[in-house]
Amino acid sequence: MKLKVSDILRYALLAFLALIWLVPIVWLLATSFSKYTGMNTTTFFPTEWGIENYKNLLFGADSVAQFPHWFWNTMVIAVFTCVISTAFVLMVAYATSCMRFKGRKALMNISVVINLFPGVLAMIAVYFILKSFDLTNSYVGLILVYSASSGLGYLIAKGFLDTVPVSLREAAYLDGASEAMVFFKVVMPMSKPIIVYTVISSFLVPWMDFVYAKMILNSGVSSQWTVAIGLYNMLEKSLINTYFTQFCAGGVLVSIPISILFIIMQKFYVEGVTGGAVKG
Amino acid sequence: MEKAKTKSAAVFAGIGHYFGDFGRAVKDGDLFVKLSLLWMGAGYFRRKQYIKSILITIFEVLIIIYSVVFGLQYVPKFGTLGTVKREAVFNPMTMKNEFNQYDNSFMILLFSVITFVIWAAFLAIYISNVKRAYELQKMAENGEHINTFLEDVNTYRNENFHKTLLALPVAGVVLFTVVPLLILVLVAFTNYDQQHMPPGELFTWTGLTNFINLFGGGGLTITFGYAFVRVLLWTLVWAVFATFTTYIGGILLSLLINHKRVKGKKMWRTLFMVTIAVPQFVSLLLVRNFFANGGIVNTICANIGLTEFLRNAGIISTSYIPFLSSPGWAHVMIILINIWVGVPYQMLIATGALMNLPTDQIESARIDGANPTQIFRHITMPYLLFITGPALVTDFVKNINNFNVIYLLTQDVYTTTNQALANSQAKEVDLLVTWLFRLTQEYYNYKMAAVIGIMVFIVCAGFTLVAFTRMTKGNREEEYN
Repeated sequence: MKLKVSDILRYALLAFLALIWLVPIVWLLATSFSKYTGMNTTTFFPTEWGIENYKNLLFGADSVAQFPHWFWNTMVIAVFTCVISTAFVLMVAYATSCMRFKGRKALMNISVVINLFPGVLAMIAVYFILKSFDLTNSYVGLILVYSASSGLGYLIAKGFLDTVPVSLREAAYLDGASEAMVFFKVVMPMSKPIIVYTVISSFLVPWMDFVYAKMILNSGVSSQWTVAIGLYNMLEKSLINTYFTQFCAGGVLVSIPISILFIIMQKFYVEGVTGGAVKG
Repeated sequence: MEKAKTKSAAVFAGIGHYFGDFGRAVKDGDLFVKLSLLWMGAGYFRRKQYIKSILITIFEVLIIIYSVVFGLQYVPKFGTLGTVKREAVFNPMTMKNEFNQYDNSFMILLFSVITFVIWAAFLAIYISNVKRAYELQKMAENGEHINTFLEDVNTYRNENFHKTLLALPVAGVVLFTVVPLLILVLVAFTNYDQQHMPPGELFTWTGLTNFINLFGGGGLTITFGYAFVRVLLWTLVWAVFATFTTYIGGILLSLLINHKRVKGKKMWRTLFMVTIAVPQFVSLLLVRNFFANGGIVNTICANIGLTEFLRNAGIISTSYIPFLSSPGWAHVMIILINIWVGVPYQMLIATGALMNLPTDQIESARIDGANPTQIFRHITMPYLLFITGPALVTDFVKNINNFNVIYLLTQDVYTTTNQALANSQAKEVDLLVTWLFRLTQEYYNYKMAAVIGIMVFIVCAGFTLVAFTRMTKGNREEEYN
């Protein structure tokens, strides 16, 4: 294939766009490997390189930076959130996709209406409810907040389950399988992509969220925080000059596992979203 | 319209049947059906379903105990939201100040709503229980087989499996979404704010006062209506721009990457995806510092003389470029940064759609002599729009509620100089949801936050309704199925 002018233009455009998209990320990486503590505002790349930031973050915990604690806390919360959310989403998806019962349409319409309310609104009241049950500053409270309403996000999974051929289920019924057996033995084994997608996306919620976490874990004891609030806190006006580069290092450290999960997930995301849209 | 009418008629007919069946059961039922109006286990007891009878009786007793011991402490006060203010009384016995038996308006509201929800659920079970008792009576009269307890349990793995599946998720949604929303919707009709904060103070119902105030009722909130209109307009402008720029950008980028003469598609895609794989609180906080008044971009702009050029041209009056700290600049920057965040997502979705292009159509078009441009205009593009179009509606709603981008980019950085907005605790760059959030977190103005929340709902619901009726009108599904 001969390279034409239009090809060169095309590659140049792509390279230019990719550069724009990557500049902040490169800056994040470069800053995290610098020897300063605060923000370097004179040059794009640091003049002195070093790994002190990572060392401080991982081994030199102080009253502000407790990265190993945060990582562990977030991990625990994420694992529980993931298990509960995945179960809820798949259960609701199966019931709405594969079963026909009175009130199914009504239930789905109600979920659409609920989703139209701003989440922030519910969040404010959720805080008070947790407080009156003494669940603030506890991981149980946070896990409940992340996972209890997860059933509302069933649409993508339903879109996927809609593509599982009805004939397979019918064959199983004829063989005398119960609905529960069909769910566990027929439909679930065929739904690996959407299970992977749901598992990863719900696992990522506690890593990405900072609003709920900030609201509920508000005691000010930094070792109890999640990664998101811990890093967010490092950019407080009084702390930013001492911790900005550590923030960058922390950002790199959480981004690595998340990126890996994300890249696995995106394949299934595309399948789920477009698959769901075709069937309307 | 015709369709909508028959639909609502069907709904009312359904409701009519629901209560009609109940009335018939009560009227035509035997003694035990009528008895189960009082003792829920009566019908089952008569049909020898003893375990079920015991279970439902226990359930009934628990509800009654809950209502008497707990619910009735709060529900009677629901009308006033409490009348006894907290006062510290000196107790000579313990030599300490003690609080009187005071009312906590918020607790009254919260537990009343929870009790109402429980009662509503109970009522539904109660009605279906009476109907079931009547059904059992009929079955017995016809000599049909009546399930044993084990057989009944078994139905929850078969025809009633949806109940097993949905019980917990629905309970979760009710407790953590429906109840909170109900409470805040109710708060919009009270005077719950910093002057009326439980437990120290009481708040009470004020009817539509807050809504009237929002639309310029005067008094303390004279600027509130102005702020609301400003913030609402920016929210809409933002939602339109954020949705369409990322949508169009995403499609263009995916077309560029998926062009048949481009090599290394996977590599390009991954390069763009790195930005979305980094959590938003990291990437956006980083970008915010990147464009800070004393940040790296400003240094570079000063070095290359751009800052001076702009100052000489009279565009800026500061010694730096106020990317995220002055009105016009911040608005544009936020939309641009959002393109940076949002385009890769849309690119992914558009790529997925491109991979499922109807190849047979394209093939036959080519055989008929269509050139690539024609194929693109008449097949590829309409197909892409058809697949990704419905997502535009949900994206628009999501952007109206896009808390993260605005909050992370402007919180603590942007200060408004507009007095009228500042008086209402709003900023030029606020969306309704970030304004609402600030009102509750920093100013404890729950009543107005709740009103704004309801407004957001009305905007979203109105938009969704219009968009979906438009979309289903053409019945575009036919074209590709």
